[in-house]
Amino acid sequence: MCILEDYPFQNWSASDVADLSDALTQQVQDARGSGVQLQIAGSGSRIGWLPRAQGAFQTIDLCGHTGILSYRPDELTLTARAGTRLVEIEAALADRGQMLAFEPPIFDPAGTLGGMVAAGLSGPSRPWLGAVRDSMLGIEMINGAGEYLRFGGQVMKNVAGYDVSRLQTGAWGTLGLLTAITLRVHPIWPKQTTLVFNMQAQAALAACAKIAGQAIPLTGTCWHEDKLYLRLGGSEGAVRGARTALVNELSSAAPFGDQFWGDLRDHRLLFFDQPQSDWSSTLWRVVTPPGAPLPTFLRGDDILPLLIEWGGGLRWLYHDDEAAVKAYAQSVGGWCWALGHPLPTEAIQRRYMDRLRQAFDPEQVFCSPLDFTHGN
Amino acid sequence: MDVNKTDQRALLKELKKILPVDGVITDQAGLKPYETDGLTAIKEMPWVVALPENEQQVVRIVKACARHSVPIIPRGAGTGLSGGARPHREGVVLGLSRMTEILDVDCVGRMARVQPGVRNAAISEAAGVHGLYYAPDPSSQIACSIGGNVAENAGGVHCLKYGLTVNNVLGVRLVTSTGEILKLGGALYDNPGPDLLALVCGSEGMLGIVTEVTVALLPHPQAKTVLMAAFKDIVDAGDAVANIIAEGIIPAGMEMMDQQAATAAEQFAKAGYPLDAAAILIIELDGSEAELRDQAGRVGRLLNSHRAYQVVRADDAATQARIWRGRKSAFPAVGRLAPDYLCMDGTIPRHKLAEILMQIHRISEEEGLSVANVFHAADGNLHPLILFDANIPGQTDRAMAMGARILECCILAGGTITGEHGVGVEKLDTMCVQFSSEELRQFHRLKEAMDPEGLLNPGKGIPTLTRCGELGGMHVHSGRLPFPELERF
Ligand SMILES: Cc1cc2nc3c(=O)[nH]c(=O)nc-3n(C[C@H](O)[C@H](O)[C@H](O)COP(=O)(O)OP(=O)(O)OC[C@H]3O[C@@H](n4cnc5c(N)ncnc54)[C@H](O)[C@@H]3O)c2cc1C
Ligand SMILES: Cc1cc2nc3c(=O)[nH]c(=O)nc-3n(C[C@H](O)[C@H](O)[C@H](O)COP(=O)(O)OP(=O)(O)OC[C@H]3O[C@@H](n4cnc5c(N)ncnc54)[C@H](O)[C@@H]3O)c2cc1C
Repeated sequence: MCILEDYPFQNWSASDVADLSDALTQQVQDARGSGVQLQIAGSGSRIGWLPRAQGAFQTIDLCGHTGILSYRPDELTLTARAGTRLVEIEAALADRGQMLAFEPPIFDPAGTLGGMVAAGLSGPSRPWLGAVRDSMLGIEMINGAGEYLRFGGQVMKNVAGYDVSRLQTGAWGTLGLLTAITLRVHPIWPKQTTLVFNMQAQAALAACAKIAGQAIPLTGTCWHEDKLYLRLGGSEGAVRGARTALVNELSSAAPFGDQFWGDLRDHRLLFFDQPQSDWSSTLWRVVTPPGAPLPTFLRGDDILPLLIEWGGGLRWLYHDDEAAVKAYAQSVGGWCWALGHPLPTEAIQRRYMDRLRQAFDPEQVFCSPLDFTHGN
Repeated sequence: MDVNKTDQRALLKELKKILPVDGVITDQAGLKPYETDGLTAIKEMPWVVALPENEQQVVRIVKACARHSVPIIPRGAGTGLSGGARPHREGVVLGLSRMTEILDVDCVGRMARVQPGVRNAAISEAAGVHGLYYAPDPSSQIACSIGGNVAENAGGVHCLKYGLTVNNVLGVRLVTSTGEILKLGGALYDNPGPDLLALVCGSEGMLGIVTEVTVALLPHPQAKTVLMAAFKDIVDAGDAVANIIAEGIIPAGMEMMDQQAATAAEQFAKAGYPLDAAAILIIELDGSEAELRDQAGRVGRLLNSHRAYQVVRADDAATQARIWRGRKSAFPAVGRLAPDYLCMDGTIPRHKLAEILMQIHRISEEEGLSVANVFHAADGNLHPLILFDANIPGQTDRAMAMGARILECCILAGGTITGEHGVGVEKLDTMCVQFSSEELRQFHRLKEAMDPEGLLNPGKGIPTLTRCGELGGMHVHSGRLPFPELERF
């Protein structure tokens, strides 16, 4: 006899769970050929990040499709329905001393797991603990033909068939409706500490470059308003040792509350609340090689509208001159995205993404804010 | 795929224009080394082998093949274990083994940019001068190429902590089936849109040719320690694995061998394994000195509480190397036990380890062939080695059938038929068991989106629905099987 156990081990409170798989499948099948497109909605928490779709569409709402289906701390895996709130998942994990390694931003407590994967955004720990895609193990989904499909699974290693699960990260709903997701989870480090150093942006980038090659348990960096924040996470001994080494290397440091990283992750820092400020109304998310130089158009006082994460690899900045920001990103081999505007993809990439969309949704049943027809 | 002879002749002329004389192989003796990969049971002579030296040549070859509708079989070092690089009788083997340049090592970004033919181990050698290394370390690392690693999403013994190839690759340049260059990712921590880079990892050369890879590098850990534990009962060893992880400890490596494999390894490599153990566990921990002291103590206590009857801890490099030598030579060691062996590659949730072992044992008794088990225990990846003699009529088929039964058990346990070796041609039939026809159709549509003419590595990776139909495919998923009350094994 072979093992025939279904989703095992349910040790969370099973309140507030609902399986809408059949209804969702039906809704997609009904939409085929009806001329009405479906806009997948988790909670709307990333509503401001992409422009809204044009034309007539109906919302297909995932909010009711909730529940953690399986959580095994000893396997480091969790499976939940796509409409499950991220806050609920975080709480269940924290209860067992675990977390999502990639620290997904939770802009709104209503934010859902499906939206997290579809948006593919990772938090401050990204360079050291991986991105959303790195924790993806499996999905259940409905394609544009209304077929219910499963890819990947609940194991760390799986190369059977194409990696459709990871492909879905960052797809913003263009490649079908995700109904359930399995993630790899991570133990919370026993000890965490934050150090703050006074230094200017240039010096901060140099400091990050200097420590990049060292085996220290770094889990986050942020430069903002002439301060470099470093977060260490690991065993008691490892954190203590690294802390001493860093203070020796970078001179005096002040301890700081760990709350900072949550505020950074979820954009609660004042910096992210600037539309009313006099800097610029456009917030740019610029992804660069970590060692890339600073943009020359930011000088002196102008350096204020800048925040640097990921050891130099992610730079947020307010700036009005679109051409200047794009030229900068291109010159360092990175890319930039003005929030609220289409995602910038190269024409050739867009062509292949569009072909993939047709492979998953030939009749264009789903409409997504991700737009393959416009460039940057 | 039928290839037109006139097209072949015309293509050959073009290939000879694109490449230097020794870059186009057509003679039987020259073609012979390419007739198989690491899965030597399956052989086929290629029509032509083409060995480009740069991306531009790859583009021109692909365009020429596309014009003449001749299939392309990408090939790295040919160490693949599932027949992924098996040639096509009428096709071109596109060998990337001459593209071996390390283009850039960036210590600030902790990244390296390399050509696809660079050997896995060569990256760590080049990065070593900066105190950095490339983490994924398949046992074949001194031979296999990074392009082949990307195509197979190769793993190694340090996967649980440091990830597979997909987790350590930041960018690739891909030549598509029409000869376009698709830049995916780069020296960057994220990219806009659906994750095509992840899709390419593990795509077995069926979606494009990888012509450049940007990998992430890691600083060498300050220190490491290796523990070897021996158990009288394999169930205890399995439980110890699960509990170490549940304790919040993520070992750098955690490998298990059953008695058959450990004994063979000990006789081969003199690693110091007790011969009477039902299971041997090797655990590597890394980090700062302080961290190791703490973790090694906790792991040691856990091993004892799971009835390990012998625990050896090695802090010095020589003893560590000795302990690892046994595990690393397990395949050749087992290879001495029988004329042939078949290496399976299923993955299961770790807590099913003991159950699956018992099932493998049963299948082995029923089929009359012995099995030695080597596992990447940390991530639930099993390598049962089925011992047989290809010269005894029927044994090869029996070994294959037995392998398929083991893989079906892996699927039923909530696992998968391949953790790191890929489907290739070897596991096409078991793919029919793991995936429904809708899912397989979705894979085919995805392939068509990237390679509409089906030129790249045809016949690999994804079975046709007809093939599954002929097998009378029994699709099972996540342990959900039609008529679960029936005994199947
Ligand atoms: C009254 C109202 C009107 C709206 N009008 C528009 C409009 O005109 N145009 C428009 O674009 N949006 C509109 N929206 C918002 C839209 O429905 C989504 O809420 C929004 O695009 C992203 O929100 P979300 O909840 O999915 O966010 P998140 O949960 O943050 O999701 C972000 C992205 O992920 C996708 N997504 C979420 N869950 C899944 C899943 N399970 N599987 C696959 N993809 C998923 C979403 O489609 C979105 O692209 C409106 C919302 C409301 C309430
Ligand atoms: C003794 C031994 C031990 C092994 N141990 C491990 C292990 O621990 N972990 C593990 O994961 N694997 C292991 N393997 C399997 C094998 O080494 C890996 O799969 C490796 O990644 C294959 O690399 P290669 O260069 O030899 O590729 P090949 O065998 O030449 O090709 C493999 C596949 O990749 C495709 N391919 C190759 N290069 C490219 C390219 N540039 N672009 C597109 N497609 C390409 C081919 O078409 C084929 O489908 C082992 C093999 C042996 C023989």
